[in-house]
Amino acid sequence: MMQLLYLDPGSGSYLVQVIIAAVLGVIFYFKSGWNWIKSFFVKTPPKKEEEENESAD
Amino acid sequence: MNQLINHHPASFRDPAGFIYEQNGTVYRFVSTAYASHYSLLMDSGLAAELLKKNLLLPFTESTDNHTGRADWYKTLIPQQLPFFSYAWEWSFSQLKDAALATLAVCKLALQKGMILKDATHTNMQWVDGKWKLIDTLSFEKYTAGESWVAYRQFCECFLNPLLLAAYSGLEVNKLLLSYPDGVPASVTSKLLPFKTKFNAVVYLHVHLQAKLAAKPAGEKKNSGKQLSQKNIEQILESLRSCIESLQLPQKTTTWNNYYNETILSETYLSEKKNLVSSILANQSYNSVLDLGANEGEFSLLCREDAQVIATDFDSACIDSLYKRLKKEKRKNIQPLVLDLTYPSPAMGWVNNERKAFFERTKADVCLALALIHHLAIAKNISLQQLASFFASICNTLIIEFVPKEDLKVQSMLHWRKDIFEEYTLEQFEKSFADFFILEQKTVVNGSQRSMLLYRKK
Repeated sequence: MMQLLYLDPGSGSYLVQVIIAAVLGVIFYFKSGWNWIKSFFVKTPPKKEEEENESAD
Repeated sequence: MNQLINHHPASFRDPAGFIYEQNGTVYRFVSTAYASHYSLLMDSGLAAELLKKNLLLPFTESTDNHTGRADWYKTLIPQQLPFFSYAWEWSFSQLKDAALATLAVCKLALQKGMILKDATHTNMQWVDGKWKLIDTLSFEKYTAGESWVAYRQFCECFLNPLLLAAYSGLEVNKLLLSYPDGVPASVTSKLLPFKTKFNAVVYLHVHLQAKLAAKPAGEKKNSGKQLSQKNIEQILESLRSCIESLQLPQKTTTWNNYYNETILSETYLSEKKNLVSSILANQSYNSVLDLGANEGEFSLLCREDAQVIATDFDSACIDSLYKRLKKEKRKNIQPLVLDLTYPSPAMGWVNNERKAFFERTKADVCLALALIHHLAIAKNISLQQLASFFASICNTLIIEFVPKEDLKVQSMLHWRKDIFEEYTLEQFEKSFADFFILEQKTVVNGSQRSMLLYRKK
Protein backbone atom coordinates (compact mmCIF):
# COMPACT_ATOMS: atom_id res chain seq x y z
CA MET A 1 0.00 0.00 0.00
CA MET A 2 2.58 2.53 1.16
CA GLN A 3 4.89 1.97 -1.78
CA LEU A 4 2.18 3.32 -4.07
CA LEU A 5 1.72 6.44 -1.98
CA TYR A 6 4.08 8.44 -4.15
CA LEU A 7 2.20 11.70 -3.84
CA ASP A 8 2.84 13.86 -0.79
CA PRO A 9 -0.64 14.45 0.55
CA GLY A 10 0.61 17.62 2.21
CA SER A 11 1.04 18.42 5.86
CA GLY A 12 -2.25 19.03 7.54
CA SER A 13 -4.21 17.60 4.61
CA TYR A 14 -5.69 14.84 6.75
CA LEU A 15 -6.63 17.25 9.53
CA VAL A 16 -8.23 19.68 7.04
CA GLN A 17 -10.32 16.89 5.61
CA VAL A 18 -11.44 15.77 9.07
CA ILE A 19 -12.50 19.33 9.95
CA ILE A 20 -14.20 19.90 6.59
CA ALA A 21 -16.00 16.56 6.90
CA ALA A 22 -17.20 17.51 10.38
CA VAL A 23 -18.46 20.93 9.27
CA LEU A 24 -20.08 19.52 6.14
CA GLY A 25 -21.68 16.84 8.28
CA VAL A 26 -23.27 19.54 10.45
CA ILE A 27 -24.40 21.54 7.40
CA PHE A 28 -25.81 18.38 5.85
CA TYR A 29 -27.61 17.56 9.10
CA PHE A 30 -29.31 20.95 9.25
CA LYS A 31 -29.98 20.98 5.51
CA SER A 32 -31.76 17.63 5.62
CA GLY A 33 -33.76 18.83 8.64
CA TRP A 34 -34.68 21.99 6.77
CA ASN A 35 -35.58 19.98 3.64
CA TRP A 36 -37.75 17.75 5.79
CA ILE A 37 -39.66 20.78 7.09
CA LYS A 38 -39.77 22.31 3.61
CA SER A 39 -41.19 19.11 2.14
CA PHE A 40 -44.41 19.77 4.03
CA PHE A 41 -44.94 23.02 2.15
CA VAL A 42 -43.19 22.70 -1.20
CA LYS A 43 -43.58 19.93 -3.70
CA THR A 44 -40.12 19.24 -5.12
CA PRO A 45 -39.70 17.74 -8.58
CA PRO A 46 -37.83 14.42 -8.71
CA LYS A 47 -34.06 14.93 -8.84
CA LYS A 48 -32.48 14.47 -12.25
CA GLU A 49 -29.34 12.35 -12.61
CA GLU A 50 -26.34 14.37 -13.74
CA GLU A 51 -25.62 13.63 -17.36
CA GLU A 52 -23.08 16.34 -18.19
CA ASN A 53 -20.40 14.08 -19.51
CA GLU A 54 -22.57 11.14 -20.39
CA SER A 55 -23.95 11.56 -23.88
CA ALA A 56 -23.32 8.36 -25.75
CA ASP A 57 -21.72 9.79 -28.82
CA MET B 1 17.24 -8.27 -23.20
CA ASN B 2 16.25 -4.78 -22.37
CA GLN B 3 15.26 -3.44 -25.78
CA LEU B 4 15.57 0.23 -26.57
CA ILE B 5 12.37 1.96 -25.58
CA ASN B 6 11.51 5.63 -25.57
CA HIS B 7 10.53 6.28 -21.98
CA HIS B 8 8.30 9.39 -21.90
CA PRO B 9 10.21 12.15 -20.06
CA ALA B 10 7.14 13.18 -18.03
CA SER B 11 6.27 9.68 -16.84
CA PHE B 12 8.57 8.76 -13.98
CA ARG B 13 6.88 9.68 -10.72
CA ASP B 14 4.43 6.83 -10.32
CA PRO B 15 6.01 3.44 -9.53
CA ALA B 16 2.82 1.79 -10.84
CA GLY B 17 3.93 2.19 -14.44
CA PHE B 18 5.06 4.53 -17.16
CA ILE B 19 4.45 5.71 -20.70
CA TYR B 20 6.82 4.91 -23.54
CA GLU B 21 6.92 5.14 -27.29
CA GLN B 22 7.83 2.39 -29.68
CA ASN B 23 7.73 2.74 -33.47
CA GLY B 24 5.47 5.77 -33.28
CA THR B 25 2.93 4.18 -30.92
CA VAL B 26 2.46 5.26 -27.32
CA TYR B 27 2.21 2.42 -24.79
CA ARG B 28 1.67 2.24 -21.04
CA PHE B 29 3.74 -0.19 -18.98
CA VAL B 30 1.88 -1.55 -15.93
CA SER B 31 4.10 -2.89 -13.18
CA THR B 32 3.37 -5.90 -10.98
CA ALA B 33 3.30 -3.41 -8.06
CA TYR B 34 -0.01 -2.15 -9.48
CA ALA B 35 -1.49 -5.58 -10.30
CA SER B 36 -4.11 -5.72 -7.54
CA HIS B 37 -5.31 -2.17 -8.22
CA TYR B 38 -5.47 -2.81 -11.96
CA SER B 39 -7.52 -5.99 -11.42
CA LEU B 40 -9.91 -4.07 -9.20
CA LEU B 41 -10.24 -1.31 -11.80
CA MET B 42 -11.22 -3.86 -14.44
CA ASP B 43 -13.16 -6.38 -12.34
CA SER B 44 -15.23 -3.87 -10.34
CA GLY B 45 -16.63 -2.53 -13.61
CA LEU B 46 -15.16 0.91 -12.87
CA ALA B 47 -13.16 1.08 -16.11
CA ALA B 48 -16.21 0.06 -18.16
CA GLU B 49 -18.41 2.61 -16.41
CA LEU B 50 -15.88 5.43 -16.91
CA LEU B 51 -15.45 4.52 -20.57
CA LYS B 52 -19.21 4.48 -21.04
CA LYS B 53 -19.45 7.95 -19.55
CA ASN B 54 -16.56 9.24 -21.68
CA LEU B 55 -14.51 10.08 -18.60
CA LEU B 56 -11.52 7.83 -19.30
CA LEU B 57 -9.27 7.66 -22.36
CA PRO B 58 -10.07 4.37 -24.12
CA PHE B 59 -7.30 1.76 -24.10
CA THR B 60 -6.70 -1.85 -25.08
CA GLU B 61 -4.50 -4.47 -23.47
CA SER B 62 -1.54 -6.01 -25.22
CA THR B 63 0.50 -9.06 -24.25
CA ASP B 64 3.79 -7.65 -25.60
CA ASN B 65 6.44 -6.80 -23.05
CA HIS B 66 8.59 -4.45 -25.13
CA THR B 67 10.60 -3.43 -22.10
CA GLY B 68 11.89 -6.85 -21.09
CA ARG B 69 11.48 -5.80 -17.47
CA ALA B 70 10.89 -8.46 -14.82
CA ASP B 71 8.18 -6.41 -13.05
CA TRP B 72 6.04 -6.38 -16.19
CA TYR B 73 2.37 -7.00 -15.54
CA LYS B 74 0.47 -5.58 -18.54
CA THR B 75 0.98 -3.39 -21.55
CA LEU B 76 -1.79 -0.96 -22.42
CA ILE B 77 -2.29 0.76 -25.74
CA PRO B 78 -4.17 3.98 -25.05
CA GLN B 79 -6.11 5.84 -27.75
CA GLN B 80 -3.38 7.82 -29.52
CA LEU B 81 -3.61 11.57 -29.02
CA PRO B 82 -2.71 13.76 -31.99
CA PHE B 83 -1.89 16.70 -29.75
CA PHE B 84 -1.32 17.34 -26.06
CA SER B 85 -2.24 20.61 -24.36
CA TYR B 86 -1.30 21.94 -20.92
CA ALA B 87 -3.37 23.82 -18.36
CA TRP B 88 -1.29 26.96 -18.98
CA GLU B 89 -2.99 27.02 -22.38
CA TRP B 90 -6.53 26.59 -21.08
CA SER B 91 -9.16 29.20 -20.41
CA PHE B 92 -11.33 29.36 -17.28
CA SER B 93 -14.16 27.16 -18.62
CA GLN B 94 -11.73 24.55 -19.87
CA LEU B 95 -10.08 24.23 -16.46
CA LYS B 96 -13.50 24.26 -14.79
CA ASP B 97 -14.79 21.39 -16.95
CA ALA B 98 -11.56 19.45 -16.43
CA ALA B 99 -12.04 19.89 -12.65
CA LEU B 100 -15.65 18.72 -12.75
CA ALA B 101 -14.67 15.68 -14.83
CA THR B 102 -11.93 14.82 -12.30
CA LEU B 103 -14.45 14.97 -9.45
CA ALA B 104 -16.94 12.87 -11.41
CA VAL B 105 -14.23 10.24 -11.96
CA CYS B 106 -13.37 10.20 -8.25
CA LYS B 107 -17.02 9.92 -7.22
CA LEU B 108 -17.57 6.93 -9.53
CA ALA B 109 -14.35 5.35 -8.31
CA LEU B 110 -15.51 5.59 -4.69
CA GLN B 111 -18.74 3.83 -5.57
CA LYS B 112 -16.64 0.94 -6.88
CA GLY B 113 -14.26 0.79 -3.93
CA MET B 114 -11.44 2.80 -5.49
CA ILE B 115 -10.18 6.38 -5.24
CA LEU B 116 -8.04 8.77 -7.31
CA LYS B 117 -4.51 8.78 -5.97
CA ASP B 118 -3.63 11.85 -7.99
CA ALA B 119 -5.74 14.69 -9.31
CA THR B 120 -3.63 16.94 -11.52
CA HIS B 121 -4.55 18.89 -14.64
CA THR B 122 -1.81 17.10 -16.59
CA ASN B 123 -3.91 13.92 -16.31
CA MET B 124 -6.83 15.54 -18.14
CA GLN B 125 -7.20 16.14 -21.87
CA TRP B 126 -10.03 17.38 -24.07
CA VAL B 127 -10.46 14.46 -26.44
CA ASP B 128 -13.30 14.17 -28.97
CA GLY B 129 -15.21 16.96 -27.23
CA LYS B 130 -15.01 15.45 -23.71
CA TRP B 131 -12.67 15.89 -20.77
CA LYS B 132 -11.07 12.53 -20.13
CA LEU B 133 -8.67 11.16 -17.57
CA ILE B 134 -5.71 9.91 -19.57
CA ASP B 135 -3.79 8.22 -16.74
CA THR B 136 -5.24 4.74 -16.36
CA LEU B 137 -3.05 4.11 -13.32
CA SER B 138 -4.47 6.99 -11.26
CA PHE B 139 -6.73 4.68 -9.27
CA GLU B 140 -6.00 2.80 -6.10
CA LYS B 141 -8.00 0.63 -3.77
CA TYR B 142 -9.94 2.76 -1.30
CA THR B 143 -9.27 1.89 2.34
CA ALA B 144 -12.02 2.86 4.76
CA GLY B 145 -10.96 5.53 7.26
CA GLU B 146 -8.32 7.07 5.03
CA SER B 147 -8.46 10.61 3.68
CA TRP B 148 -8.38 11.51 -0.01
CA VAL B 149 -4.66 11.52 -0.70
CA ALA B 150 -5.01 13.77 -3.76
CA TYR B 151 -7.24 16.34 -2.02
CA ARG B 152 -4.54 18.99 -1.64
CA GLN B 153 -3.34 18.42 -5.20
CA PHE B 154 -6.88 18.82 -6.53
CA CYS B 155 -7.31 22.11 -4.65
CA GLU B 156 -3.98 23.45 -5.89
CA CYS B 157 -4.41 22.36 -9.50
CA PHE B 158 -8.08 23.19 -9.98
CA LEU B 159 -10.00 24.84 -7.16
CA ASN B 160 -7.51 27.57 -6.25
CA PRO B 161 -6.84 28.94 -9.75
CA LEU B 162 -10.58 28.82 -10.53
CA LEU B 163 -11.40 30.75 -7.35
CA LEU B 164 -8.71 33.32 -8.15
CA ALA B 165 -10.16 33.76 -11.63
CA ALA B 166 -13.74 34.12 -10.39
CA TYR B 167 -13.08 36.34 -7.36
CA SER B 168 -9.89 38.22 -8.22
CA GLY B 169 -10.07 38.36 -12.02
CA LEU B 170 -6.75 36.53 -12.54
CA GLU B 171 -6.27 34.33 -15.61
CA VAL B 172 -6.00 30.60 -14.87
CA ASN B 173 -3.50 30.02 -17.69
CA LYS B 174 -1.10 32.63 -16.30
CA LEU B 175 -1.50 31.36 -12.74
CA LEU B 176 -0.70 27.80 -13.75
CA LEU B 177 2.27 28.90 -15.82
CA SER B 178 3.71 30.42 -12.64
CA TYR B 179 2.63 27.46 -10.52
CA PRO B 180 2.67 24.43 -12.85
CA ASP B 181 2.08 22.05 -9.93
CA GLY B 182 -0.88 24.11 -8.73
CA VAL B 183 -1.39 27.33 -6.76
CA PRO B 184 -0.73 26.72 -3.04
CA ALA B 185 -3.48 27.48 -0.51
CA SER B 186 -1.23 30.04 1.23
CA VAL B 187 -0.86 32.08 -1.99
CA THR B 188 -4.54 31.73 -2.88
CA SER B 189 -5.62 32.77 0.60
CA LYS B 190 -3.59 35.98 0.33
CA LEU B 191 -4.85 36.86 -3.15
CA LEU B 192 -8.55 36.19 -2.59
CA PRO B 193 -10.70 39.14 -1.47
CA PHE B 194 -11.50 39.39 2.24
CA LYS B 195 -15.19 38.64 1.68
CA THR B 196 -14.37 35.05 0.71
CA LYS B 197 -13.56 34.39 4.39
CA PHE B 198 -17.30 34.56 5.00
CA ASN B 199 -18.01 31.93 2.36
CA ALA B 200 -18.04 28.68 4.37
CA VAL B 201 -16.88 26.44 1.52
CA VAL B 202 -14.08 28.76 0.37
CA TYR B 203 -13.04 29.31 3.98
CA LEU B 204 -12.74 25.58 4.62
CA HIS B 205 -11.01 24.57 1.41
CA VAL B 206 -8.65 27.55 1.12
CA HIS B 207 -8.25 29.80 4.15
CA LEU B 208 -8.37 27.05 6.76
CA GLN B 209 -6.07 24.84 4.70
CA ALA B 210 -3.59 27.72 4.39
CA LYS B 211 -3.69 28.24 8.15
CA LEU B 212 -3.16 24.58 8.97
CA ALA B 213 -0.39 24.13 6.41
CA ALA B 214 1.48 27.06 8.01
CA LYS B 215 1.58 25.37 11.43
CA PRO B 216 4.70 23.36 12.26
CA ALA B 217 4.05 19.64 11.89
CA GLY B 218 4.43 18.95 15.62
CA GLU B 219 1.48 21.13 16.54
CA LYS B 220 -0.94 19.26 14.37
CA LYS B 221 -2.79 16.89 16.58
CA ASN B 222 -4.64 14.13 14.93
CA SER B 223 -8.13 14.17 16.38
CA GLY B 224 -8.24 10.40 16.13
CA LYS B 225 -11.41 10.67 14.08
CA GLN B 226 -11.51 8.51 11.03
CA LEU B 227 -12.99 9.65 7.76
CA SER B 228 -15.85 7.59 6.44
CA GLN B 229 -16.59 7.05 2.77
CA LYS B 230 -19.60 9.29 3.22
CA ASN B 231 -17.30 12.06 4.54
CA ILE B 232 -15.20 11.88 1.40
CA GLU B 233 -18.29 11.87 -0.78
CA GLN B 234 -19.45 15.04 0.99
CA ILE B 235 -16.05 16.68 0.44
CA LEU B 236 -16.23 15.78 -3.27
CA GLU B 237 -19.78 17.12 -3.47
CA SER B 238 -18.87 20.40 -1.76
CA LEU B 239 -15.97 20.86 -4.20
CA ARG B 240 -18.25 20.07 -7.12
CA SER B 241 -21.02 22.47 -6.17
CA CYS B 242 -18.50 25.22 -5.38
CA ILE B 243 -16.70 24.85 -8.73
CA GLU B 244 -19.96 24.45 -10.64
CA SER B 245 -21.18 27.82 -9.33
CA LEU B 246 -18.00 29.74 -10.28
CA GLN B 247 -18.32 32.21 -13.14
CA LEU B 248 -15.84 34.50 -14.82
CA PRO B 249 -16.55 38.17 -14.00
CA GLN B 250 -18.19 39.74 -17.06
CA LYS B 251 -15.94 42.14 -18.88
CA THR B 252 -15.25 43.09 -22.43
CA THR B 253 -11.65 42.76 -23.48
CA THR B 254 -10.13 44.46 -26.51
CA TRP B 255 -10.61 41.33 -28.53
CA ASN B 256 -13.72 39.47 -27.57
CA ASN B 257 -15.87 42.02 -29.33
CA TYR B 258 -13.46 42.49 -32.18
CA TYR B 259 -15.85 41.49 -34.91
CA ASN B 260 -18.92 43.16 -33.42
CA GLU B 261 -17.43 46.55 -32.73
CA THR B 262 -14.69 46.67 -35.24
CA ILE B 263 -14.42 49.63 -37.54
CA LEU B 264 -14.11 47.12 -40.34
CA SER B 265 -17.13 46.73 -42.56
CA GLU B 266 -19.43 43.76 -42.62
CA THR B 267 -18.71 43.29 -46.31
CA TYR B 268 -15.07 42.80 -45.38
CA LEU B 269 -15.86 40.03 -42.91
CA SER B 270 -18.17 38.08 -45.20
CA GLU B 271 -15.80 38.56 -48.15
CA LYS B 272 -12.92 37.32 -46.04
CA LYS B 273 -14.89 34.26 -44.94
CA ASN B 274 -15.77 33.41 -48.56
CA LEU B 275 -12.18 33.88 -49.63
CA VAL B 276 -10.72 31.71 -46.84
CA SER B 277 -13.37 29.03 -47.44
CA SER B 278 -12.60 28.87 -51.15
CA ILE B 279 -8.84 28.72 -50.53
CA LEU B 280 -9.28 25.97 -47.91
CA ALA B 281 -11.55 23.98 -50.25
CA ASN B 282 -8.68 23.69 -52.73
CA GLN B 283 -6.12 22.43 -50.21
CA SER B 284 -5.54 18.91 -49.00
CA TYR B 285 -4.82 18.99 -45.27
CA ASN B 286 -5.22 17.00 -42.07
CA SER B 287 -4.13 19.61 -39.57
CA VAL B 288 -4.62 23.35 -39.25
CA LEU B 289 -3.07 25.85 -36.89
CA ASP B 290 -5.07 29.07 -36.59
CA LEU B 291 -2.90 31.72 -34.94
CA GLY B 292 -4.69 34.79 -33.59
CA ALA B 293 -7.96 32.93 -34.01
CA ASN B 294 -10.01 35.45 -31.99
CA GLU B 295 -13.34 33.70 -31.42
CA GLY B 296 -12.60 31.06 -34.03
CA GLU B 297 -14.73 32.32 -36.93
CA PHE B 298 -12.16 31.03 -39.41
CA SER B 299 -11.22 27.82 -37.58
CA LEU B 300 -14.86 26.87 -37.96
CA LEU B 301 -14.49 27.05 -41.76
CA CYS B 302 -11.99 24.16 -41.72
CA ARG B 303 -13.05 20.64 -42.65
CA GLU B 304 -14.67 18.87 -39.70
CA ASP B 305 -12.40 15.84 -40.00
CA ALA B 306 -9.23 17.92 -39.77
CA GLN B 307 -7.43 18.47 -36.47
CA VAL B 308 -7.57 22.22 -35.82
CA ILE B 309 -5.71 24.11 -33.12
CA ALA B 310 -7.11 27.60 -32.61
CA THR B 311 -4.98 29.91 -30.51
CA ASP B 312 -5.32 33.46 -29.29
CA PHE B 313 -3.56 35.37 -26.55
CA ASP B 314 -6.88 36.67 -25.21
CA SER B 315 -8.24 34.10 -22.76
CA ALA B 316 -11.76 35.59 -22.95
CA CYS B 317 -11.88 34.89 -26.71
CA ILE B 318 -10.70 31.32 -26.20
CA ASP B 319 -13.23 30.87 -23.42
CA SER B 320 -16.13 31.90 -25.64
CA LEU B 321 -14.81 29.78 -28.52
CA TYR B 322 -14.59 26.78 -26.18
CA LYS B 323 -18.18 27.32 -24.99
CA ARG B 324 -19.37 27.61 -28.58
CA LEU B 325 -17.59 24.42 -29.65
CA LYS B 326 -19.09 22.58 -26.69
CA LYS B 327 -22.56 23.82 -27.55
CA GLU B 328 -22.23 23.03 -31.24
CA LYS B 329 -20.49 19.70 -30.49
CA ARG B 330 -17.54 20.51 -32.76
CA LYS B 331 -14.92 18.04 -31.64
CA ASN B 332 -12.06 18.70 -34.04
CA ILE B 333 -11.04 22.14 -32.77
CA GLN B 334 -8.74 22.63 -29.75
CA PRO B 335 -9.04 26.22 -28.50
CA LEU B 336 -5.90 27.29 -26.63
CA VAL B 337 -4.62 30.47 -25.02
CA LEU B 338 -1.25 31.31 -26.51
CA ASP B 339 0.78 34.50 -26.61
CA LEU B 340 2.81 34.13 -29.80
CA THR B 341 5.54 36.37 -28.45
CA TYR B 342 5.76 34.19 -25.32
CA PRO B 343 4.65 30.70 -26.42
CA SER B 344 4.45 27.98 -23.73
CA PRO B 345 8.00 27.06 -22.77
CA ALA B 346 9.57 23.66 -22.15
CA MET B 347 9.33 23.01 -18.41
CA GLY B 348 9.76 20.45 -15.71
CA TRP B 349 12.68 18.17 -14.91
CA VAL B 350 15.68 19.00 -17.14
CA ASN B 351 13.28 21.02 -19.30
CA ASN B 352 12.04 17.79 -20.76
CA GLU B 353 8.85 16.99 -18.90
CA ARG B 354 6.50 19.53 -20.51
CA LYS B 355 7.22 20.29 -24.12
CA ALA B 356 7.32 23.78 -25.61
CA PHE B 357 4.29 24.67 -27.73
CA PHE B 358 5.98 24.62 -31.13
CA GLU B 359 7.75 21.38 -30.28
CA ARG B 360 4.28 19.81 -30.03
CA THR B 361 2.71 21.60 -32.95
CA LYS B 362 3.18 21.27 -36.66
CA ALA B 363 0.40 21.78 -39.15
CA ASP B 364 -0.30 21.24 -42.83
CA VAL B 365 -2.02 24.61 -43.05
CA CYS B 366 -1.45 27.71 -40.97
CA LEU B 367 -4.00 30.54 -40.84
CA ALA B 368 -2.58 33.93 -39.91
CA LEU B 369 -5.47 36.32 -40.44
CA ALA B 370 -5.33 39.94 -39.29
CA LEU B 371 -2.33 38.92 -37.24
CA ILE B 372 0.99 40.06 -38.60
CA HIS B 373 0.48 43.81 -38.05
CA HIS B 374 0.19 43.01 -34.34
CA LEU B 375 3.51 41.18 -34.43
CA ALA B 376 5.30 43.53 -36.83
CA ILE B 377 4.04 46.89 -35.57
CA ALA B 378 3.12 46.28 -31.92
CA LYS B 379 5.95 43.86 -31.14
CA ASN B 380 8.63 45.06 -33.58
CA ILE B 381 9.17 41.63 -35.15
CA SER B 382 10.74 41.95 -38.59
CA LEU B 383 9.14 40.54 -41.74
CA GLN B 384 12.16 38.25 -42.23
CA GLN B 385 11.70 36.83 -38.73
CA LEU B 386 8.01 36.28 -39.43
CA ALA B 387 8.70 34.52 -42.73
CA SER B 388 11.22 32.10 -41.21
CA PHE B 389 8.87 31.45 -38.26
CA PHE B 390 5.94 30.48 -40.47
CA ALA B 391 8.22 28.33 -42.63
CA SER B 392 9.19 26.37 -39.50
CA ILE B 393 5.60 25.45 -38.56
CA CYS B 394 3.62 24.75 -41.73
CA ASN B 395 3.65 23.79 -45.39
CA THR B 396 0.77 25.94 -46.57
CA LEU B 397 0.26 29.43 -45.25
CA ILE B 398 -2.86 31.54 -45.64
CA ILE B 399 -1.82 34.96 -44.46
CA GLU B 400 -3.46 38.34 -44.50
CA PHE B 401 -1.37 41.45 -45.03
CA VAL B 402 -2.76 44.56 -43.34
CA PRO B 403 -1.15 47.65 -44.92
CA LYS B 404 -0.12 50.81 -43.12
CA GLU B 405 -3.02 52.75 -44.66
CA ASP B 406 -5.46 50.45 -42.85
CA LEU B 407 -7.34 52.21 -40.04
CA LYS B 408 -6.30 49.53 -37.52
CA VAL B 409 -2.62 50.05 -38.26
CA GLN B 410 -3.11 53.81 -38.29
CA SER B 411 -4.60 53.68 -34.81
CA MET B 412 -1.69 51.51 -33.65
CA LEU B 413 0.77 54.07 -34.99
CA HIS B 414 -1.11 57.02 -33.58
CA TRP B 415 0.82 57.15 -30.31
CA ARG B 416 4.20 55.98 -31.46
CA LYS B 417 6.87 56.91 -33.95
CA ASP B 418 6.59 55.12 -37.27
CA ILE B 419 9.88 53.23 -37.41
CA PHE B 420 8.47 50.64 -39.79
CA GLU B 421 9.65 51.81 -43.20
CA GLU B 422 9.99 48.23 -44.34
CA TYR B 423 6.37 47.43 -43.56
CA THR B 424 4.98 47.36 -47.11
CA LEU B 425 3.31 44.63 -49.16
CA GLU B 426 6.23 44.66 -51.56
CA GLN B 427 8.78 44.13 -48.78
CA PHE B 428 6.53 41.52 -47.18
CA GLU B 429 6.41 39.50 -50.40
CA LYS B 430 10.16 39.82 -50.81
CA SER B 431 10.79 38.45 -47.31
CA PHE B 432 8.37 35.57 -47.67
CA ALA B 433 9.76 34.66 -51.11
CA ASP B 434 12.89 33.37 -49.35
CA PHE B 435 10.89 30.48 -47.88
CA PHE B 436 7.63 30.27 -49.80
CA ILE B 437 6.16 30.26 -53.29
CA LEU B 438 3.26 32.68 -53.72
CA GLU B 439 0.27 30.86 -55.20
CA GLN B 440 -2.53 33.37 -54.87
CA LYS B 441 -2.92 37.02 -53.94
CA THR B 442 -6.32 38.66 -53.58
CA VAL B 443 -7.43 42.00 -52.19
CA VAL B 444 -10.22 41.44 -49.66
CA ASN B 445 -13.23 43.44 -50.87
CA GLY B 446 -14.32 46.17 -48.49
CA SER B 447 -10.75 46.76 -47.25
CA GLN B 448 -7.21 47.46 -48.39
CA ARG B 449 -5.99 44.18 -46.97
CA SER B 450 -4.57 41.33 -49.09
CA MET B 451 -4.94 37.60 -48.65
CA LEU B 452 -1.93 35.59 -49.73
CA LEU B 453 -1.62 31.86 -50.22
CA TYR B 454 1.90 30.50 -49.83
CA ARG B 455 3.39 27.05 -50.36
CA LYS B 456 6.64 26.20 -48.62
CA LYS B 457 9.62 25.83 -50.94
